[in-house]
Amino acid sequence: MLNAHRWLEEIHRLPLRDTVRVMNVCGGHERSITLAGLRGALPTQVELIPGPGCPVCICPERDLYQAIQIALSEPVTLVAFGDMLRVPVNVPRRETRTLEQARSRGADVRPIASPSEAVTIARTERERDVVFFAAGFETTMAPVAAMIEQGLPPNLSVLMSGRLTWPAVAMLLDAGAAFDALVAPGHVATIMGPEQWDFVVERHHLPAAVAGFTPDSLVAAIYSVLRQKLEGKIFLDNCYPEVVRAGGNATARAMLARSFKIVDAEWRGVGVIPKSGFGLRRQYSHIDARLRFADHVDESRKRIGEMPQGCECASVVLGRIYPDQCRIFGTACTPRNPVGPCMVSDEGACRIWWSAGRRPTAA
Amino acid sequence: MCLGIPMQIKSVEGFIARCEAKGVERDVSLFMLAEGEARPGDYVVVHVGYAIQMITEQEARSAWELYDQMLSGDTSLPKEANPGA
Ligand code: SF4
Repeated sequence: MLNAHRWLEEIHRLPLRDTVRVMNVCGGHERSITLAGLRGALPTQVELIPGPGCPVCICPERDLYQAIQIALSEPVTLVAFGDMLRVPVNVPRRETRTLEQARSRGADVRPIASPSEAVTIARTERERDVVFFAAGFETTMAPVAAMIEQGLPPNLSVLMSGRLTWPAVAMLLDAGAAFDALVAPGHVATIMGPEQWDFVVERHHLPAAVAGFTPDSLVAAIYSVLRQKLEGKIFLDNCYPEVVRAGGNATARAMLARSFKIVDAEWRGVGVIPKSGFGLRRQYSHIDARLRFADHVDESRKRIGEMPQGCECASVVLGRIYPDQCRIFGTACTPRNPVGPCMVSDEGACRIWWSAGRRPTAA
Repeated sequence: MCLGIPMQIKSVEGFIARCEAKGVERDVSLFMLAEGEARPGDYVVVHVGYAIQMITEQEARSAWELYDQMLSGDTSLPKEANPGA
């Protein structure tokens, strides 16, 4: 396989005339692109647009609020992937806005790095109810399904908030999205198979390529979609064949299918996207935290379901603006004092751009 | 959150493998791989403590190399001249 350098040379040799907007839908891709400075290394006609690739960023505000309220008002230990702890909900300043604040106010909230840690915590503290706030895309929800299939201790329940990536892209394309080609997420495809992205080619006639996380694989994918577009021969390319195989990981997919059903689901700041969420199947209702604990969702809250006031994460997530086009990027909103989830999460485009040294454009 | 890291399996006990990458050891669940698919010495891509796929040694090594370069900022690609300008 050629390295990134050689692929870049090939790209510069392509007779590109019009602007080609290439969307990626994976925070890992955006990080590699930004850290490697790929935008500056590509011809000016090529625009790389970060799209809906951050599960933390689109995690429903209602779910987060529910998690915070359970942690505060029930005698439980609430565990969640670390990134979730600093994402704010829309409540007045004096109230508890994040899981981290809930912890500093006495709630037992713990960050975990793996679903198996949730099981270990529940096994060690048998007398305590443990709630696993499970947010993530397919790659992360497959391990959650595996955890469920291996059997949970009776004191462990799951607050489901998992999402599927492709329905958000389908929604963007159905709405006439402003991009010309797609770089599809490598580890989602590792689990689900590259075929999940066939619709981009078949229904929308756009070039697409699955990419891994190294600059080599990403630049290869970008070259592929550009060349497809120029030659008018479009197909779904696989530029990450090391781990992305036809059909994906069959064992993992079977586990996902046995534990979860696919449901219409809310995306923060975006609204409901049909068939884009993972919900527990009926036989697992005994581990459903929503059934085990009271429903704390208060529909009278201001900006319920929305991004925080003044934050443009919804537009960032949908690829409508670049992070530094948000008015408060790098000024009122920084990783130290994040206003929106895109600045909190390592997968958030705002955070990634800031970490790579991007600073506000409007000086 | 969807990033997987290649690791080498040191030992296997049931569905749990002791895995190593760059001197760091971790317990990794093999539950999502086909039974008996992964053995000591093999390489797997690990995400949130679960092996999501097998990978060859050569591919694992080149991925580590590239991740290293990326994280140290030592990419051979030209940097944007003036980010944000
Ligand atoms: S810079 Fe901050 S406020 Fe603006 S979109 Fe990004 S996260 Fe939201």
